[in-house]
Amino acid sequence: MDTYLVTVLNGLAMGSLLFAIALGLSLVFGMMDVLNLAHGAIYLVGAYVAVALTGDGAGPAMFVAAVLAAAAAGAVLGGALAGMTRATPHHLDQALLTLGVALVVAESLTVVFGSDVHSLAAPAPLDGGVQILGQTYPVYRLLVIAFGAILALVVYRLVERSRLGAVIRATVADRAMVSALGIDTGRVLVGVFAAGAALAAVGGVLAGPILGAQPGLDEKVLLLALVVVVVGGLGSVRGALLGAVLIGQVQALGVALLPEYASFLLFAAMAAVLLMRPAGLLPAPTAVRA
Amino acid sequence: MGVLSAVLRSLRRTTTISGLAVGALALSGCAGSSLDQSGSQGSGDEVKLGLLVPLSGVYAPLGEDMRDGFQLYLDQHGGRLGGKTVRVVTVDEGETPQTGVPAAQKLVTQDRVTAVVGVVNSATALGLRDFFHESKVPLLVANAGADAITGERSSPYVWRTSFANGKVGAALGPAVAEEVDGGVYLITADYAAGREMVGGFRKAFEAAGGKIAGEKYTPFGKTQDYQPYLSAIRNSGAKAVFSFYAGAEAVNFVKQYKQFGLADRIPLYGTGFLTEGGVLNAQGASAVGVKTSLHYSTELDTPINKAFVEAYRTKHGKAPTVYSVQAYDAAAALDKAIAKADGTGGEDIAEALGGIGTIDSPRGPWSFDADHDARQKYYLREVRSDGGSFVNAVLGELD
Repeated sequence: MDTYLVTVLNGLAMGSLLFAIALGLSLVFGMMDVLNLAHGAIYLVGAYVAVALTGDGAGPAMFVAAVLAAAAAGAVLGGALAGMTRATPHHLDQALLTLGVALVVAESLTVVFGSDVHSLAAPAPLDGGVQILGQTYPVYRLLVIAFGAILALVVYRLVERSRLGAVIRATVADRAMVSALGIDTGRVLVGVFAAGAALAAVGGVLAGPILGAQPGLDEKVLLLALVVVVVGGLGSVRGALLGAVLIGQVQALGVALLPEYASFLLFAAMAAVLLMRPAGLLPAPTAVRA
Repeated sequence: MGVLSAVLRSLRRTTTISGLAVGALALSGCAGSSLDQSGSQGSGDEVKLGLLVPLSGVYAPLGEDMRDGFQLYLDQHGGRLGGKTVRVVTVDEGETPQTGVPAAQKLVTQDRVTAVVGVVNSATALGLRDFFHESKVPLLVANAGADAITGERSSPYVWRTSFANGKVGAALGPAVAEEVDGGVYLITADYAAGREMVGGFRKAFEAAGGKIAGEKYTPFGKTQDYQPYLSAIRNSGAKAVFSFYAGAEAVNFVKQYKQFGLADRIPLYGTGFLTEGGVLNAQGASAVGVKTSLHYSTELDTPINKAFVEAYRTKHGKAPTVYSVQAYDAAAALDKAIAKADGTGGEDIAEALGGIGTIDSPRGPWSFDADHDARQKYYLREVRSDGGSFVNAVLGELD
């Protein structure tokens, strides 16, 4: 039993990271109807920013600097993507555009950093492990869980309880009406796009000590984020949180309980949700226009 | 396409003698050039070799090491193998047979190379077997480890300078059975190479009296978090773990094995790819103490290896890996074979490869066995810290 409790904890750590990464994808998809396939590449930019700045075993100050630098890089990339995708209203064009950006960004990173696998050490004081229920557990992952919890609270306050959040939610629900009220929806969209991308890049830094950085990681992360968005429902913060926590547990607890089905669990969970609730567990109201 | 349609249009417009002559000239030009190319393959002082290594995708680090190793041998021998000047055509194998097979076919049919060296992906190597067999062009496999390549799917034209998965795993079996008092847990990625390495280990290990405490095959390429598996290992009461992973999976597995506190209690064994080259750099201190079996280590204390490591470092600015050595030795094998062969046709070289005898390599002396696989020593290696960097120290030979 103790074993499974530690596994649940570990699922929470993965869920926290997935939440940070998938939130932007979900809001942009729900709000702008843009499937941003460059989201994984932005995550990878964050991971490589961490490689460049912290390398092996940097102190906490450098780690925080890496988080800020990644957030800035992500915001710039996200803003640029928002501008580009607004140039064309067609979904296929937008998907191809973001896919193209993803390929260019990922290839550029390989050119600069090489094709080797990079790993990152957690900042020095958090590098060790603590005893939980008789098992060693890395301190850093506990911090990631705390980060996820704080992020969920902050985003919830911001999106569900503030005036800015009301504008964002209204833009998700009915862009034309918000525009008619005299609010520049274009700026809202660019802002959300940039903020979502910044979060993905920060996720790249925070996941660095767990997942490292290597070519191809962007696709894996994008796939996981897409599954989270599909499970949670488009355009909603609560949906992204629920989806991330659920997928985190499926990958940890599910694998521990049913190891022989490990390959299928992720997609089995997604299929089950789609069968029962095709719009996801907690979609934003009218996020999906028929 | 554009040229072709222009020619057709000019032919249709001018049904004069001169128009036909132009067409005939163009046709004979084509035929002539292809005759020239096949001619250069059979005679002359030059020989054209294809290097088929992954330069993109997840295997790119291996491909770069192989290219560098092959190039080093050429540079050390004035760009000549067996007395002939070598022209190398390098193509990208990519990740899968979908890219690797067409790349190899291009080398043989378009570039008309005498022999091809490389191939990392086993599925690509197996997929190419019939093509090389029928084209009668030698393929020197310098990494792909599937047992079948030199087993049931062997061919007179397919040779291997690297290893067979099962043999690398088997080499460690008796040693672990002797060192470990208790059950051993097997864990690897769920694909052919993982199953073959673990299968080879298991057979040799059980034959030597070892006991298996449990086994797990993790989804290949989809597992980032090994915590659930590591918990299972802890609960199994195993006294040691044998594993095979490569690339990012090897880094994550070994780092998490340390982070979740298993490294201090349950010794980790594996095939050498678990801690080789760039993977070891990324694992860093987490890998210290991991014991592996492999046919090479930079730390081998022989004059040939020391000179090789020194030359490689000078030329490429980093330490060589087993992948560099496998390609280096493919060049060495071709060097001897081309010198011995009656001509530079594929059949001549393939025949000569059977009679080249022992190669004195940085990995130690090795030769081709009856199945065209490398007959070689395997070493027991342990990861140690060496003044800031990490190396695979050689503890001894495995037999």
